[in-house]
Amino acid sequence: MSTETTRRELLKGVGLGVGSTLLSPILSQIAAQAAGDAKAANPKRVVFVVQSNGMSPDHLRPEGVMRSFKGNKPTNADLVEISLADKKLHPALESLEPFTKRIALVQHLSGRVALSDHSANHGCLGACPANKGPIAQTIDHAIAEANPGVIPHIAIGLGGNPGTIMNYRLSASGPGQATPIICSPELAFKSLFGSVAEGANGKNFDQTANLLDFMTDDVKRARNALKGDEREKLDGYLAAFEALHKRQTELAGLRESLAANAPKFDKNQLRPTISTTILESQFEIGAAALISGVTNTLLLTSGGGGQAFGEFPELGINGLHGIGHGAAQNGKTAQECFTELRQLHTKLIAGFAKKLDAIKEGNGTLLDNTAIIYISDSGEQHHPSLYEWPIVVIGNLGGKLKTDGRYLEFPGYGQKKHRTTANFFCTLLHAIGKPRDSFGVPDMGMKDVDQTGAIAELLA
Amino acid sequence: MKRTKLCFVVVWVLGAGVMGWPRPVVAEPPKGEATFEKSVTPFLTTHCIKCHGPEKQAGDVRLDTLTPGDPKSAAVWAQVRDQIRDGLMPPAKLPKPNAIDARAVVAWATATLGARPARLPNQGNLIPHELLFGTPAPAGDSASPARIWRISPAAYSSLLLRLAKDAPGVSQPFTLVDERGIRDFAGLYGADIPSTEILIRNAIAIVEAQTTAEYTVLVKPPKGSTEPAKPEQRKNQTAVQEFVKLVQPGVKPTAMQIESAVRTQFRMAIGRVPDAEDVARYLALYEKCLKDGDAPSAVKAVLQAVLLKSEVIFRNEMGGSNGRQLLPPSELARTISLTLGNRLDNALLTAAEKGQLQTKEQAIAQIQRMLNDPKSDRSRIPHFFREYFEYHTADDVFKDKPMGVIYSPRTHINETDLLIAHVLKQDRDVFRQLLTTPLTFVNARGFEGKLVRSEAKMGGTDKKTGKFTLGIEGIYGFEKWPEAQPVEMPPDTRMGVLMQPSWLIAWSTNFDNDPVRRGRWVRERLLGGTVPDLPIGVTAQVPDDPDHTFRSRLEVTRAAECWKCHQKMDELGLPFEQFDHYGLLRKTERVEDLEATAKNVDSKGKPKGKVYREVPLNTSGVIVDSGDPKLEGPVNSPYEMIRKIANSDRARQVFVRHVFRYFLGRNESLADARTLQDADAAFVKSGGSFNALLTSLLTSDAFLYRTHQNTTPAGASK
Repeated sequence: MSTETTRRELLKGVGLGVGSTLLSPILSQIAAQAAGDAKAANPKRVVFVVQSNGMSPDHLRPEGVMRSFKGNKPTNADLVEISLADKKLHPALESLEPFTKRIALVQHLSGRVALSDHSANHGCLGACPANKGPIAQTIDHAIAEANPGVIPHIAIGLGGNPGTIMNYRLSASGPGQATPIICSPELAFKSLFGSVAEGANGKNFDQTANLLDFMTDDVKRARNALKGDEREKLDGYLAAFEALHKRQTELAGLRESLAANAPKFDKNQLRPTISTTILESQFEIGAAALISGVTNTLLLTSGGGGQAFGEFPELGINGLHGIGHGAAQNGKTAQECFTELRQLHTKLIAGFAKKLDAIKEGNGTLLDNTAIIYISDSGEQHHPSLYEWPIVVIGNLGGKLKTDGRYLEFPGYGQKKHRTTANFFCTLLHAIGKPRDSFGVPDMGMKDVDQTGAIAELLA
Repeated sequence: MKRTKLCFVVVWVLGAGVMGWPRPVVAEPPKGEATFEKSVTPFLTTHCIKCHGPEKQAGDVRLDTLTPGDPKSAAVWAQVRDQIRDGLMPPAKLPKPNAIDARAVVAWATATLGARPARLPNQGNLIPHELLFGTPAPAGDSASPARIWRISPAAYSSLLLRLAKDAPGVSQPFTLVDERGIRDFAGLYGADIPSTEILIRNAIAIVEAQTTAEYTVLVKPPKGSTEPAKPEQRKNQTAVQEFVKLVQPGVKPTAMQIESAVRTQFRMAIGRVPDAEDVARYLALYEKCLKDGDAPSAVKAVLQAVLLKSEVIFRNEMGGSNGRQLLPPSELARTISLTLGNRLDNALLTAAEKGQLQTKEQAIAQIQRMLNDPKSDRSRIPHFFREYFEYHTADDVFKDKPMGVIYSPRTHINETDLLIAHVLKQDRDVFRQLLTTPLTFVNARGFEGKLVRSEAKMGGTDKKTGKFTLGIEGIYGFEKWPEAQPVEMPPDTRMGVLMQPSWLIAWSTNFDNDPVRRGRWVRERLLGGTVPDLPIGVTAQVPDDPDHTFRSRLEVTRAAECWKCHQKMDELGLPFEQFDHYGLLRKTERVEDLEATAKNVDSKGKPKGKVYREVPLNTSGVIVDSGDPKLEGPVNSPYEMIRKIANSDRARQVFVRHVFRYFLGRNESLADARTLQDADAAFVKSGGSFNALLTSLLTSDAFLYRTHQNTTPAGASK
C-alpha cells in the first residue's frame, strides 16, 4: 500500500476537519507504519533554492576563517573542517544563526564543465555544459523521480523581472525537456491550491474533471488523425490532460490537507508587482506544499538562467548585472548590495525552515526529514570561474547527511582528493536511497582526479 | 574580474515546450540499419581507439569504455558522429576511412540518438548548397509534409486579444527555443503540463469575459474628497451577447442554442465551421455537465472545451487524410494569415466560408492581395529580417559606457529596423542593398517621412571633467542630428546592415569584438556553410593580454586542433575589426602600454591608471571554402569582403534558402530544389524585389500543398 493511498484512506476514515490536517505528515507516518512500509515512514524532502548572480565564497566564511588561494583557485590539498559551534557566521548568513547546528557550509567543489559567461543554466543542477540547453536530467528531477509525491516536482520562483511568468533555463526532467519554473505566485497558488481555494463547492471540482476527461478524449482523437513525428507534437498536450486529470483525482484525496495549509494571501501577495513580495509569496507557497504533503521535491528560484539576474529596485538595487561588474547602486557598494541580497534570501530560507520545524513528524520535525540545498546558478560570482561552487546545506535528510554545524573546504581544483558538484549530487542520491556514482558530464580538465562517487565526508 | 572569452554559439540550445531532443543529423541518412558490432566496433578499432582508447585519450576522449545506447554517453556519441560526418576525424594525417564505412557509423549514431530530419533552423545548411542549386531541378509535384504547427507566442497573444481583449487572468504560455536565428519552426513545439495549465486557466478566464455582460468597478472620488469609492457598473466590451443569454439564471439552453454557440466559438478561435461529429460531442459534454452541475456551468464547460481544442493552439496543415492535396479552405485561411502576420485575416476567413478559397488560383489571389495591402497584418516580414541578421539582440549585450559617445543599443536597433523598412519599400536589388547600401538612419524613430530624434541626450562637454561627449549621432560621425534621413555615409565608412552599430554590438561580447561569431554568421547566413559545435570539454578562452590587439590574442585558435573549425570562422569575422565593439569606426586600435602603465605612478608609487597606445589597424581576412570560386581569396577590408559577397549568386541563393525556412517553417529538403530555384529566378528577374521572392515562395506548391507520403526528391536522385 502506498503512502499516498494510506494517507487518503486515513484522512477519509477519520473524517478530519479543517485545522487538524496540519498533522497530516504525522498521520501519513502512522499510516505508513501501519502498512508495514518502514522506508516510507519518514518521507524525505529535498528543497533546492537557486539564486542568481553568484554566491560569494566569502559569505560562507565564518568570522576569522582564512582560505588558501592562488589566483581564482583554492589550493588546499586536504579537507579543511571547522566546527561552527564557536564561530560567528558572515553577516550575509546571520538569519541562519538559529540553525547553526543543522548546517553544512560547503566550499571548493568545482563545476567547470558548466562554465559560461554568466549563468550555468541547466548546467548548475545538471553538472553538464551550460549552453547546450537541457541535455540531461537535473538533480532536482533525479531526486523527484527517486522520491515522488502526488506532484513529483514543484518548481516555483521569481523570474528575471516581476512580470516573468515562466523560467525554462534551470531545471530539466530529461534531455530536451526543460521544466518551466512558475514565476507568478498567482499561477503557482492556483495550480496547487486552486481547487480548494475556490470554495468548498465540489461542483467546480467535478466540472473541471468533466472538462479534463473530455479534453483527454478530444486530444486523443486529434492525435490519432496524425502520423509519425506529427503525433509526437500532441503527446505533450495529451499527457498534460491525462496527468492533470490524474492529479485532480489524487488531489481530491488531499483536499482537506490542502485547504488547511493553503496560504491566506491578500491581493498584493497573490499578484505582487515587486520581486521581494514575489519571493515571499513563493517561499510561503513552497512551505505550504511540503507541509500539506503534496510533494517531496521543491525547487525555489530567484532569477537565474541566461542573464535573467532579477531586479530589486525596492531595495535600491536596480541592476544585478551592474553590481556583478562592481557598480555602486544608490550609495551602496556592489559588495553591500550582494550582502543585502544574500540577507534577503537567507531570511526567507530561515523563515521557511522555521515553518517546517514547527511541524512534528516522528520523533522530530518535518525539517529533520528535509535537506535545503542553497546554491547559485552562476557559481561563485557574476562572471564565474567555477573552480569553486559554494553550497549551503540546511537539515540532514532524516539523519542521512552530516550537517551538524560544519564549515568544509574540500581540496582545491585539480588536487587528488578534489570533489565536484557532480559528486555532491551523487551524495544527495545516495542519501535519498537511489545511489548513483556519476552525474552529468565529467570535467575533462581533471583527468587525474577520480570524479565518481558520493562525498563520504558528507554522508552520515 | 575582467575576462574575455571566445563565445562559441552552440546549436543545441533549447527552451522547454520543445519536443524531445532535437538531434542534428545528416541530410540524407543512408538506408538500412547498421548494428554496433557490425559497423561501429570495426570502425572505431581501425580509426579511433589508437588515440582514444586505453593507451591514449587524446583530448580526454576515450571511446572503448562507452556503452552504446547509454543515454549518459549520448553527448559523446553525438560528437563522434558529427566529427566523422564533417570529416574532421580521423585527422588528415591519418588514413582516410572508407566513405561507406563512415556513413554507416554516422547512420548508427543517428539511429541510436534518434533519427529525425534536421530540425533546428541552424541545421538547414547541412544540405549542401550544390544539391539545391547546382543543376536546374526538374518540375515535380512538390508539397510540404502534412503537419501541425504550434502557433507562435505572438499569434497566441493576438488570439487572446481577438477572443477577450483585456480579460483578467489570461497570460501567454508559450516560449520559443533560445536559439540563434530563426526560432519558430513547425517541427519544434508541443505543449507541456505547465503550459496546458495556463491554457486551461485562460480558457476559463476568456469564457468568463465572454459571458459577463456588465462588471463593477470602484470609482475613486476626486482628490481631496472624503467620499468613499463608489461602485459603478460598466458594460463589458468583450462579452458575446449570444453566450451571455445562455448563462442567465434559470435559463436552460436548447441543443440548438448550444450548437449555435459552439459554431460561434469555433469561428472566433479556429476560424472554421465545426462538423457534425464535433457538434454531437459538445452536446454530449453539455448533457454530462448538466448532470453534475447547473446549466450556466455546463454552458461554460462547453465553451471552454472549444478553446482548448488542439486546433486552437496548433495550426493544422493536413491537406487531407492521404495523398497530395491542396490545403482545404479553412487551413489555407489560417496558414496564409499566420505566415504573413500574427492574426487571422477576416477577408480570408470570409473567403473560406463562402467557398472562394477552393483553388490554387484563389489562394494566390488572396496572398497577392495581402502582400499588397498595407492594412493586412504582415508583421512577420520585418521579423524575418531581425532573425536573419540578428541585430535586435544588441540590447542584450552588457557593456560598460564607452568614452566620447552616448551609448544606446536600443536606438541602434530602431535605426536598423528603419533601414530595412526603407530598403523593402524601394523593393529593388534588396539583397545587395541590405549588404551594401551607403544609407543609414541616425538616432531616429517613427516612420520614414515622419521621423523624430529618438534619444534626446545631446552630449557636450562635462563641466567637471572637461570631457567632450558626442550624442548618439556621434557614432556615425555627426555632431548634429541630421533631419533629412536616411543619410548617405561617405565611402568606406559604413555600408549595409552588417556595419550598422546594432549588428556590430549584437555580435560582440561584453568587452570586445567577437570575430569568431561574426565569422560564423557570415559562414552560415551568407555562404551557406556549416561549423561544428564546440567539442565537449573544450572551454575556449582568448588570453586576456591587454597589450595585444584582439586579432593577435585570437591566434590561440591557430593551434591545429582549434583551427580545423576556426578556419571556417575567424578570417570572415576579422575584417569587422574596422569597428570597435561599440560599433565605432576606427583608424587605429588601442592597446595598453604595460611599460608606461607601470611607470604611471604618483610620488608615493600608487598607480595612476592605465596608459594606452595606438597600434596600426589590420582589417584583412580571407574567404576560403566558400563554394563560389569568385569569392575565394584574401580581402583587405570589410567593405571589400561584403561587396564581393553581395554580388555573389551563391550568397543571394543562401538568402533565398533562409527566406524559405522562415516562411515555410521548416528546413529545405532536396525535394524543394525546384521551389528554391524558381524563387531565386523570380527574385533575379524582378530586379531583386523581395515581394516577388516572397510571392514566388508563397504561391509555390511547397507552400500550398501537403502530402502524407514521404516525398521523393523531384529529380534529385543523389
